[in-house]
Amino acid sequence: MQAAIAPAPHTPAPGDHDYAVTGIDSRKLGMWGFLASECLFFGALISSHLLYRARAPQGVKLPHDVYDIPYTSVSSFVLLMSSLTMVLALAAIQRGDHRRLRLWLLATAFLGTVFIGGQVYEFTTFTHHGVNLSSSVAASSFFLLTGFHGVHVTVGILWLMSLVGISLRGQLPAEKHLQVEIAGLYWHFVDVVWILIFTVVYLVPNHH
Amino acid sequence: MADTEISGDTPGPPGDATGAVATEEAPATPELGAAPGHDPLLHQGLEHHHPSPVKYVGIAVLLAIITSLEVAIYYINMPDGLMVAFLLVLAILKFSLVAAFFMHLKFDSPMLRRVFIAGIILAGVVYTVALLTLRVLV
Repeated sequence: MQAAIAPAPHTPAPGDHDYAVTGIDSRKLGMWGFLASECLFFGALISSHLLYRARAPQGVKLPHDVYDIPYTSVSSFVLLMSSLTMVLALAAIQRGDHRRLRLWLLATAFLGTVFIGGQVYEFTTFTHHGVNLSSSVAASSFFLLTGFHGVHVTVGILWLMSLVGISLRGQLPAEKHLQVEIAGLYWHFVDVVWILIFTVVYLVPNHH
Repeated sequence: MADTEISGDTPGPPGDATGAVATEEAPATPELGAAPGHDPLLHQGLEHHHPSPVKYVGIAVLLAIITSLEVAIYYINMPDGLMVAFLLVLAILKFSLVAAFFMHLKFDSPMLRRVFIAGIILAGVVYTVALLTLRVLV
């Protein structure tokens, strides 16, 4: 008898509005959709830079000529490690450990700030070497790409700090760990984009 | 062996259904649990098999080693084509490790994986074709 009964259609329960028919929280699905669209956004910026640096006239000083690879490697390592602290923050709230949650969120924001500080120093050094926003189209596209990435990191830092504030006010109980997870998805994405930028823009040789 | 299927490494908050015992209980919202395609764990925003913090540290160490390898390859004298191939393989490996373990794509709903991979493939194809057309990659 039971097998003949068709499953009841889903009727939303009170407080269950965040779940789509997929069974996945719509905020999480939305964040993944946003990250998928960001692939196209950063893909356009990376491609533009590859195009303009390949077509740069001879004799023009490019970012590639003034890179400090050991310095940028350390910077990349810092951002990579911030992904570890971010995922440890998520594990902490899932355990209900709010003290460690705040500790790891602050550590992540701190590492992100170190990365941004490094980027500001790098931009300043490039400018002193004669590579700036208006020195060539290739340089413009480089600053646009890495600058937009830096803006993403900065937004991430503000997001993390707001989570710390919400947690300190006691408004981030363990059941709301999805808020930390969604912020974490954004943060990790910023990290994976840098993985590609570091390899394709910094390490891959240029033959202009 | 329900408790080997659901990771106890990142147990959820009290009252959550991450633990083995809790998985045997009725879903918090029965109508969702009964509906086709609804995973009670996913419904509550929880995922299967999340790694332990120790495993996260292990992944981070692996990422650091791969980054060191990338920088080493940059300084090794080798043909450009070979260098680019090595660097791209290592970058894709790092990207996959972060996405699979830190972003939990390996453990989450396949739909999330499909959404993200669709974005990556679309971007990859569009910009590869554009750069090939403009003779940047050849």
